[in-house]
Amino acid sequence: MSDSYRSNLYLPDMATIQEVIEETQNIKTFRVTLNNPDAMRSFRFEPGQVGQLSVFGVGESTFVINSPPSRMDYLQFSVMRVGELTERLHKLRPGDQIGVRAPLGNCFPYKAMKGKDIVFVGGGIGMAPLRTLLLYMLDNREDYGKITLLYGARSPSDMAFSYELPDWLGRPDMTTELTVDNGAPGWERHIGLIPNVLKEMAPSSKDAFAVTCGPPIMIRFTIEALHSLGFEDDRIITTLEKRMKCGVGICGRCNIGTKYVCKDGPVFTNAQLRRQPNEM
Amino acid sequence: MVMPTARYIAHDKLMPWLLGLAEGRRVLAPVREGGKTLFLPLREDSRLDLRGLADDSAKAALLPRCEPLLEFHYAKTAGVPSRTTLEVREILPGQETFLFGVRPCDARGFTVFDRVYDAGTRRDIYYCSRRDKTLVAAIACADPAETCFCNRVGGDPGGSDGADLLFTPVEGGFTVEAVTERGGAFLREQALEEADGKAEEAREVREAVRRAMPEGPSLDGAPDEVLRLFDDGAFWESVAAKCLSCGVCSYLCPTCYCFNMTDESNGNDGVRVRTWDNCMSFQFTLEGSGHNPRNGKAQRMRNRIGHKFSYYPKLHDGNLACVGCGRCIANCPASMDVRAIVIQARSRVLDKEEYANE
Amino acid sequence: MASSLDELKTAIRKALPGLDVVIAWTAGPDALSHAPLFITEEADVARIEWDPRCSQNLAGYLPGLRGKKAGIVAKGCDVRSIVELLQEKLIDREDVVIFGLDCQGAVDARSARAALGSSRGVRDVAIDGASVCFSVNGEPRFFSPGEVLQSKCFGCAGADAGLCDHFAGERGLPPQFGNPPESTLERLEAMDMEERLRFWETQMSRCIRCYACRSACPLCVCQDHCAAQSREPHWVDQTDHPREKLMFQAIHALHTAGRCTECGECERACPMGLPVMTLKRALNRRIKDVFDYQAGIDPNQTPPLFEFREVETNIKEREW
Repeated sequence: MSDSYRSNLYLPDMATIQEVIEETQNIKTFRVTLNNPDAMRSFRFEPGQVGQLSVFGVGESTFVINSPPSRMDYLQFSVMRVGELTERLHKLRPGDQIGVRAPLGNCFPYKAMKGKDIVFVGGGIGMAPLRTLLLYMLDNREDYGKITLLYGARSPSDMAFSYELPDWLGRPDMTTELTVDNGAPGWERHIGLIPNVLKEMAPSSKDAFAVTCGPPIMIRFTIEALHSLGFEDDRIITTLEKRMKCGVGICGRCNIGTKYVCKDGPVFTNAQLRRQPNEM
Repeated sequence: MVMPTARYIAHDKLMPWLLGLAEGRRVLAPVREGGKTLFLPLREDSRLDLRGLADDSAKAALLPRCEPLLEFHYAKTAGVPSRTTLEVREILPGQETFLFGVRPCDARGFTVFDRVYDAGTRRDIYYCSRRDKTLVAAIACADPAETCFCNRVGGDPGGSDGADLLFTPVEGGFTVEAVTERGGAFLREQALEEADGKAEEAREVREAVRRAMPEGPSLDGAPDEVLRLFDDGAFWESVAAKCLSCGVCSYLCPTCYCFNMTDESNGNDGVRVRTWDNCMSFQFTLEGSGHNPRNGKAQRMRNRIGHKFSYYPKLHDGNLACVGCGRCIANCPASMDVRAIVIQARSRVLDKEEYANE
Repeated sequence: MASSLDELKTAIRKALPGLDVVIAWTAGPDALSHAPLFITEEADVARIEWDPRCSQNLAGYLPGLRGKKAGIVAKGCDVRSIVELLQEKLIDREDVVIFGLDCQGAVDARSARAALGSSRGVRDVAIDGASVCFSVNGEPRFFSPGEVLQSKCFGCAGADAGLCDHFAGERGLPPQFGNPPESTLERLEAMDMEERLRFWETQMSRCIRCYACRSACPLCVCQDHCAAQSREPHWVDQTDHPREKLMFQAIHALHTAGRCTECGECERACPMGLPVMTLKRALNRRIKDVFDYQAGIDPNQTPPLFEFREVETNIKEREW
């Protein structure tokens, strides 16, 4: 066999779950290390890239690597329980074996964003991909301007990364606002839909990028709100989710026009998306 | 490398020659079985059928309907019953194959796969090793069917794109010509007689079949029309109205290459299999949340036509993901006609432009 | 049949203003099978075709058009599917207008292509007494019905014109053909269980899992949510083993037991020529024995597996 045959696109690296964090009633975070120490040491990725997690016997599914490349003790994935595979992942415990095919896809344009103000708008599990970029930027704080985060969830108990929120809220080098659709006793932050809170916050669009991820309907109205705040389409960045299988642009299901979300995405500017047919 | 000269094989020598080849490798050829002509491993009692186009395409030779990608095995750790170990192994294909009797459209279909599965740094090892181990022998057409339209999608009924050898029917048998280096190396080792004057006859046969093809406008160059109609829901609803959303067109198509991957296990053992998938199926894009970006058959048809006549050509130098074999037309239970849809898309765009100009 | 066609067109033209759509047949891309035509404008009426090439049963489109006023052109066998859809309340009688036709037999396009060698040059098809005549490039070519017609045409009971809102052509029994093609069910019944399994394994090894049998079935209600592709429940796996594929056929047959009118769409749609209706025929025989019921005959009857009776006439549970 020739050299080019060395890599099998579909063969996952074996990995061990090191830690499981129960984020909310339907979201768990898994911290994972590759079993081969050399592979773990040489593993490189960029913020926004995804991985396929395998539970052998059930299948594979795509999740963003939501730990930043600046912290490589483990790879972190946050998983919302929605179907067969995520159901099974939720039953796994530290020490259990899974497969990882990563990194796949493109990344946030974090180099082009240098020196700019950054506005993060995350809804529900959509906070996971933003987390990787946010932490990367906090680890390289001097490279970026003002950092603003608006994170919303259905209710206070649906907020993932709750253990990190006090830090984000308290940091002097970023502005953090939280909102929920439905309040609860003791909730002292915003109550209201993300796009409305965003308009109230009115972050400046001057020399700024907005990065947003969340349910499709939230993204739609958030983009409208960002437009009203003066953000241009090429400064609005989002990361998409589609049903994927191969993860390398071959199996044919995750395309939007000529773009394959698994290979050409998942990160797109709104300007790029507008050049593609509207098939969300 | 200089190609060997054309050879000739008489009809009565063909089967013995193929069976001879089958001693060292798998020979796939169009064989009559259950009232159908299908590409199956050739055996002594096989009924070779070289009339027209086979009922299935030959794509399973390179992309099997179902192929195991890897196997896994769970086991209890000795002494620690609460711990299980997991072993995962890749299963790589390795069989040398002589694929005989594909038509030029089917052979050209392999070039559609090559651009996707053998794309520089992103090589699909399963496909590529099969492709490397498969010698493709095409037969030039002589009697095109009513549903044949290779000539309208950039193909040629006497062409050899994607093949290593080209057979052409002549009086009493076939001429055999090598069209790739591997084909040449193979042909040189075969004890076949020189074609001599029959090579000229073969050229004439190929010329004649070009003239015999059903005529119609070219289906090239529709990528923008399909895109411009993307939001024209009424158009796609109307062209998809009679579609049953089954997989006949996808699975008989020599260029459809989309696949699914699923794990199938039996107790502690299992396999991850890759199987043909079908973009007309509701499940194809159904997301875990229940959201489906292609919920209706009109949206799925739009992607199907879009992929073949717009997206693929835009990504691959204008080459269509359709080779004009016509199996989707001849076998569609609802008599859909892909040619008509592309033509309708074009005239719909023209109508709209005229309307806008008025 | 020209007169039936004219009658049909007149009836449709008259009814069209009160309907959202009429489904009929028109010339298809292949000269051996006519294609469905969805008529919304009067100009389309001229394109309607009616001859033995109108093989596809159009009834399967009706549930998808529920809520609209739909006209449908139907052969006798197609009417049975419509009746079954009505019995199962999958369509509403007041929204459907049935244009019945006297059918002389329907061509099996694949057999006809094999018999003719090619579909090129076929201009017309007519059934005359005991033979089927294809006019190919002006020359008539005759075949016996068993060679080129669908197997369901043998033993056809004709159309029940009383169930139709309009009827074009002769009423009464259609011509009966002799020499039906060999019945797969009878062949199988002569085999022992081992042989039957071997038969099906050989057949199902050709199955490409396109599910055209299911998609073409006018009574398959699950369609997009079929057990064949479901992971939960995981009754059928995706490997290429013939038994998995046979398992799907068994599920399909059980799901249509006592509902299947033997319209033959599953076999007509199968690109691999698999005799998949045989399983449904076998189950229908049992339904006939046990419940004395035939699907799609009487719109007012309830299919036997749709109701629960404490005491069944032919199931003597208490005597077991």
